[in-house]
Amino acid sequence: MEKINQLLEEFRNIAENPSKQLEKFLKQGKKVIACAPVYTPEEIIHSMGLIPMGVWGADMEIKEAKSYFPAFICSIAQSILEQGQKGYFDGISAIVIPSLCDSLKCLGENWKYAVPNIPFIPMTYPQNRKNEVGIEFTKASYKRVIKDLERITGQKFSEESLAKSNKIYNEHNEVMRQISDVLVDYPFITASQRNDIFKSAYLMEKENHTSLVKSLIEELKKMPKEENKKIKVITSGILADSKNLLEIFEENNLQIVGDDIAHESRQYRVDIKNDGNALDGLALKFSEMDNCSVLFDVDKKRADYIVNMAKVKNAAGVLMIMTKFCDPEEFDYAIIKKACEEAKIPCIPIEVDRQMVNYEQAKTIVQTFVENI
Amino acid sequence: MIYTLGIDIGSTTSKCVILQDGKDILGTSIFTGGTGTSSPIKAMETVLSETGITKDRLSAIVATGYGRTTFTQAQSQMSELSCHAKGVHHVFPLAKTIIDIGGQDAKVINLSDEGKMANFVMNDKCAAGTGRFLDVMANIFQLTIDQLETEAFKAEKAVKISNTCTVFAESEVISQLASGENISNVIAGICQSVAGRVAALVRRTSFQEDVCMSGGVAKNGAVRKAMEKELGVSIKYSPMAQYMGALGAAIYAYDKTLKERMNSNE
Repeated sequence: MEKINQLLEEFRNIAENPSKQLEKFLKQGKKVIACAPVYTPEEIIHSMGLIPMGVWGADMEIKEAKSYFPAFICSIAQSILEQGQKGYFDGISAIVIPSLCDSLKCLGENWKYAVPNIPFIPMTYPQNRKNEVGIEFTKASYKRVIKDLERITGQKFSEESLAKSNKIYNEHNEVMRQISDVLVDYPFITASQRNDIFKSAYLMEKENHTSLVKSLIEELKKMPKEENKKIKVITSGILADSKNLLEIFEENNLQIVGDDIAHESRQYRVDIKNDGNALDGLALKFSEMDNCSVLFDVDKKRADYIVNMAKVKNAAGVLMIMTKFCDPEEFDYAIIKKACEEAKIPCIPIEVDRQMVNYEQAKTIVQTFVENI
Repeated sequence: MIYTLGIDIGSTTSKCVILQDGKDILGTSIFTGGTGTSSPIKAMETVLSETGITKDRLSAIVATGYGRTTFTQAQSQMSELSCHAKGVHHVFPLAKTIIDIGGQDAKVINLSDEGKMANFVMNDKCAAGTGRFLDVMANIFQLTIDQLETEAFKAEKAVKISNTCTVFAESEVISQLASGENISNVIAGICQSVAGRVAALVRRTSFQEDVCMSGGVAKNGAVRKAMEKELGVSIKYSPMAQYMGALGAAIYAYDKTLKERMNSNE
């Protein structure tokens, strides 16, 4: 148990201190590339000897970024810009911002003017990612990212190196899927600690994170499975890392037994096929990704995916963590809600915002859900 | 006899209900001032003194509302949504949809045939469509909330208030008055605006009749009438509307007492 606590503490320390991690990498003489949500080709960055570091904003008061954004835009994008303007990312070599939603497109364009000391590298994804043309488009965009990274950092890209990185990322995907499943049997691990494990993945070199998660899995498996008296839930949304919100889950005896959070498990669902050209494999991976609000899907299979996850995991309900002003998630919500209603699974929306200080409404919603299941 | 007390500590008022044997209302009290004020204690002391029930005779106290977690006199707390559902079902057993408009938020609750909560939605974090919107508007006219209703019923037509934002709506109302619009017509427009905003929330649910309103804003007949027009259904209303949360809390307190007695007998 002591070892488990040590590991959980390590995850927490890393998740709560991104600046320390950045400082550590810079002191080691490493070049760091910021990776904005939702999907950046981290494998490419890693393969070039650079450190990809996820930047998903922070819970903070937004002031400077308001010069560039209207109030009614996603606070994740706003807080990333705010952090850039306030110097949180000083020392970072460049930022890769994908074009997966309208807010992110604006973030990229605003970044050029608001944070001129950190170069912006656009990653433009195709809307139709599954057909041959879409896959070629994705590959061409990756090549553009590679060209920019080479120009800015002086590092060189090679297929061989990418093939190695792809393997490292596939292994990481596997351990992240495993830990999500293993945690179900150990409900003493809180929602907040679960989030630390996922959040720290963005702030460490992947091979090191893999090793740490593997250690946790090994230690947990040595313990007998706990009798589970918690209320099992599935979470869905873009981001659910607010400590205040996660504490509310804990106060109400909830256990996250599976998630459809973009910041968490959505990252790890699809592996790269290693049976050919590494860059082709990476482009193919993107084409195979699904069940996400920012990935175009005319059939909206995500709704059934969530219902199925809730059934398989025997969850009492689905908590939709809705980032305020996130259009893609709001479009999907109506379809997910309908699918959950048909399956008689409670589907509860909880609106969150990076600038939120009062969680009373979230508390009332979660408590009401618990009181009425 | 089992006496239980429910207290609903909202954002602007504190309400208490004392129940006998889980069904008979012995007394109620209400004080302006909600969480963070002395009103919760005053409301409790008043209802106890008016009913002659001493605190030691209460089997249980359940708190609800935004101040529920900080009220130390209660043995337990329940969310206001659960309590409104319970309270309304007690008064209107056939109710399927509850529209609860409080001081700072609005909620819609769907009930099953058995009176259990089937679904609920809360408003966005915005004053529009809440009691706070009416407070701000009443302030412009230097009227009380009750007087808003009286004035609205004198209106020949409801002036359209197009802004959903409370701050901008305030400017719009002032502009309407400056351009010589009749006060009653403007007030009717304000009531219409609250109803329109909350009706949109109601339509997000699979609402069915009987529809009933609870919470402080339900007292305003002009809002109720506008809501009926918006939704095309008749709205059930009880003079106890503002006490539904406290009533539900008192019923939960009774249920809790029975459960504890059953457990101790086992």
